[in-house]
Amino acid sequence: LCPQVHSLQELRRSASLATKVFVQRDYSDGTTCQFQTKFPPELESRIERQLFEETVKTLNGFYAEAEKIGGSSYLEGCLACATAYFIFLCMETHYEKVLKKISKYIQDQNEKIYAPRGLLLTDPLERGMRVIEISIYEDRCSSGSSSSGSSLAGS
Amino acid sequence: MPAASGKRFKPSKYVPVSAAAIFLVGATTLFFAFTCPGLSLYVSPVIPAYNAVVFLFVLANFSMATFMDPGIFPRAEEDEDKEDDFRAPLYKTVEIKGIQVRMKWCATCRFYRPPRCSHCSVCDNCVEEFDHHCPWVNNCIGRRNYRYFFLFLLSLTTHIMGVFGFGLLYVLYQVEELSGVRMAVTMVVMCVAGLFFIPVAGLTGFHVVLVARGRTTNEQVTGKFRGGVNPFTNGCCKNVSRVLCSSPAPRYLGRPKAEQTVLVRPPFLRPEVSDGQITVKIMDNGIQTELKRTKSKGSLEVTESQSADAEPPPPPKPDLSRYTGLRTHLTLATTEDSSLLGKDSPPTPTMYKYRPGYSSSSSSAALPHSTSAKLSRVNSLKEPNSICDSGHKPSYRSEPSLEPESFRSPTFGKSFHFDPLSSGSRSSSLKSAQGTGFETGHLQSIRSEGTTSTSYKSLVNQTRNGSLSYDSLLTPSDSPDFESVQAGPEPEPPVGYTSPFLSARIAQQRETDLHGRFASAASPKHAAPRDPSPVRYDNLSRHIVASIQEREKLLQQPPAPGREEDAGLADSGIQSTPGSSNAPRTSSSSDDSKRSPLGKNPLTRPALPRFGKPEPPPALRVRSLGSPDQPAAPHLGKSVSYSSQKTASQAGGPETEEVALQPLLAPKDEVQMRTAYSKSNGQPKILGSAPPGSGPVPLSSPTRGGVKKVSGVGGTTYEISV
Repeated sequence: LCPQVHSLQELRRSASLATKVFVQRDYSDGTTCQFQTKFPPELESRIERQLFEETVKTLNGFYAEAEKIGGSSYLEGCLACATAYFIFLCMETHYEKVLKKISKYIQDQNEKIYAPRGLLLTDPLERGMRVIEISIYEDRCSSGSSSSGSSLAGS
Repeated sequence: MPAASGKRFKPSKYVPVSAAAIFLVGATTLFFAFTCPGLSLYVSPVIPAYNAVVFLFVLANFSMATFMDPGIFPRAEEDEDKEDDFRAPLYKTVEIKGIQVRMKWCATCRFYRPPRCSHCSVCDNCVEEFDHHCPWVNNCIGRRNYRYFFLFLLSLTTHIMGVFGFGLLYVLYQVEELSGVRMAVTMVVMCVAGLFFIPVAGLTGFHVVLVARGRTTNEQVTGKFRGGVNPFTNGCCKNVSRVLCSSPAPRYLGRPKAEQTVLVRPPFLRPEVSDGQITVKIMDNGIQTELKRTKSKGSLEVTESQSADAEPPPPPKPDLSRYTGLRTHLTLATTEDSSLLGKDSPPTPTMYKYRPGYSSSSSSAALPHSTSAKLSRVNSLKEPNSICDSGHKPSYRSEPSLEPESFRSPTFGKSFHFDPLSSGSRSSSLKSAQGTGFETGHLQSIRSEGTTSTSYKSLVNQTRNGSLSYDSLLTPSDSPDFESVQAGPEPEPPVGYTSPFLSARIAQQRETDLHGRFASAASPKHAAPRDPSPVRYDNLSRHIVASIQEREKLLQQPPAPGREEDAGLADSGIQSTPGSSNAPRTSSSSDDSKRSPLGKNPLTRPALPRFGKPEPPPALRVRSLGSPDQPAAPHLGKSVSYSSQKTASQAGGPETEEVALQPLLAPKDEVQMRTAYSKSNGQPKILGSAPPGSGPVPLSSPTRGGVKKVSGVGGTTYEISV
C-alpha cells in the first residue's frame, strides 16, 4: 500500500539500514585469510543458507589464491628487487589483481543476490580483512515510521 | 620546538632515522669518492659497480622499510562494536592449529586484535603481524614491510662488509701512494663501517633465525612460544619462502573508497520455509499452551487474541530463570529446525541499538548477543512481515512480541522467550570461542571461554577514559587512604562500573532504615543518614573497626540481632581469598553508616591490591565471585540465614569489584541470579558466581515462602522463586 502511494523517490528511500552482521575470520589455519562459513542466525529469514555459504567459500578461495606462494609471486619478487621496486609504480601485484577480482565478485553478488534480499556485502578489505560486514536493510513504511522498522507488506 | 596544532612535531623521533641515513649515505659517498677511483684503476672497475649495485639495493630496501605502510588496521567503525563493550571480555580465544591463541581487545582501535597483531604505542596503530617498531627507519615493521626490512638488513650487512673489505684492500695494498687525504678518508670510512658492522650483523643474524622459525620479534621478545609450539610456523623453508616470495599484501589505509553502486530497494525476497519446518515447540509450557490455544482456535479467535495481546508481554528478566533450565529442551527444539526459529525474527543486534542502560536492560540483557529473537514463529514467509498481513500468521500474531516492530521496544517476550534458546544454541559456538558476527560479551561466552583473565573491555576503556571510578580506584594503592577511593559516587554512575556504588548506597540507605533498632549495637553517633558524597567510603572504613567489635558482641548474642551485620560477610568473603580471612570481621562493616569508625581498614586492605592491578584483578574479581565463594560459603550461609530477612528486602547492588564495599548478601544473590540469566545491566562482574552462589542461596530461603525479592540497580525489584 505505502509504496504505491508515494513517489518513486520515496520508494527508493524506503529501505533503511536495520543492522549489520559481521562474519569473522576463521583463524583455524593460521593467519591465512579465511572467513567463517558459519551461517549467522540473523540472516535466517533473509537469505538461503546455501547462497551465503557459497559466497563465503568463493571469497575464501579468492583469498587463498591471492596469498598463494608460487612461481608467479616469486618472479614478481625477483623483478621487483631487480628494479629496486620501481616496478611497483607501473605494475600491479598479484595480490592486488586478485583483490580486484574479489571486489568485482562482491559487487556482482550484491547486485544479483544480496540487494534483492535487502542485504549488502561490504568488501572485507575496507575493514582490514577482519570481517565481512553484511548490512541488513528493512522495509520502512514511507509514512515515516521509525527506521527500525515495521515491516509492511511488500506489495 | 614548534608544536603543531594537530600532532605535535617531535624531532626527537627523527634523530635515529636521520643519523642512520646520514651515516649510510655519507660514508658510502665518501667511499665512492675517495676509495673507488683508485680501486677501479688499479684493481678492477667491477668493484665500484658491484658496490653501487649493493648500495642501490640497500637504499631501495631502506626506503621501502621506512615509507611503506606496515599493515595498519583501520579503526573499526562504531557499528562493529555495537555490543556493549562494558560487558565484553578483554580476551577472546581462538584455536589455531590446535593451539589456543588469545586475541586481545584493542581499546583504541576497537576490535579484537587478530593473531600476531599488536598495537604500536609509538605509531598508535594496530599493525598486522607486528614485528617491532624500528627507530632507525622510524616505522613499524609489520606484515607488509617485513620483507623489505629483512632485505635491508641483509643488504646493509653485505654493503658494510664490502666497504670495509675494499677499503682494507685499498689501504693494505697501498693501491695508490699513501697520500694523506684519500688514505685518511678510507680509514675513516673503514672505522665507521667496522663500528656499525657488529650491531647490524647481530641484528641480521637474529632476524635470520626469526624468519627460519617463523616468529616475529614481538613474539620472540615476549617469549610467547618459549617452550611451546608456534602455531604460525610452516617449517623453515616455507617460512623463508613466505617472507621472501609471497605477493606483497595490500594496504588497508588510504584506499580509494569504492562507490556503492548497488541499490537496495524493497520489496525484498525472503527465503521460503516449508510446512514441515513449521512445527516447532518452542519454549516454555506457558508459551506453548498459549500458542496451542491460539492455534486451535478459529481465525476469529485468533484475531481476537491478536488484539488482546496488543501489549507486550511482561518483563522478561525474572522469568528467564525458567528458560535457562529449559535450555536443553530448547536446544532440542532448535535442532529440529533452527532455521525456523529465527524465521521472522528481527535481527538480534537491533536490540543492541538500545545500548542498554542499567534501567532498561530487559531486552538487551535478555539477549546476550542472541542471534535473533528466534521466535517460535511458524510461518513461511515469502514477504516481509507485515502487521497488515495478519492472515499469514494467525497463531503467532497472538504473540505480539513476535512482530518485528515490537522488537524495538525493550520489553519483549520475544527476546525473553528465546533468549535461552538462542544462547543455548549458540553456546557451542561460543565455547569454541570463535568470533562469530557477534561479539561474545555475555555470560555464556565468558564462561565458555574459561580464560582466567576475562577482564572486561570496559575496564580497559574506562581506564583509558580515566573518568570512571575504576581509574580513581587504581590510584590509592596505600591502604588507609580509602578516602581517595572516592570512586564513582555520582548519583547516576555510568554503566557497569559505578552502578555498584549506587546500589551500595541504596543498600546502605535501606539498611540504615531497616536496622534502626540496631543502633544500640552500632554506634549511635553514626546514625546520620548516608549522603552520596565521596566521603561515604571514608565513613565505611572508619566504621569497619567499630563494627568488628560490635559484631563480636553480637555474635555472642542470639543470631537474630546480628543478622544484618553478617550481611556483609558474603561480600567481604567474596572479594578475594585474602579477604576471606577477614570475612567475619569485615563483612560486618557492611555499609552501615551507623557503625563506629575504624582506625584500620581490614576490609579495605584485601580490596586494595586489587585496585592496584588493573588487569588481573578484574578477572579475579569476576572470578572471585566464584572461587572465594567457596571458602566464604559457610560464612555466606551463615550470614544468609541471619540476614535473610533483612537483606532479602534490601536493595542490593550487584556485586562488582567493589565487593568489599558492598557487603550485602542480597546483591550477591541477585548477581547470581543475573549470572544465571543474562547480561544484566552491562555490569561486568558477573561471572562464575552462579554456581558457588547457589550454595548459600537455599540457605537464605527466607521466611517468605520460597520467593526471594532481589532488587537490582535502579530500584527494580525482582521476585525470584527459590
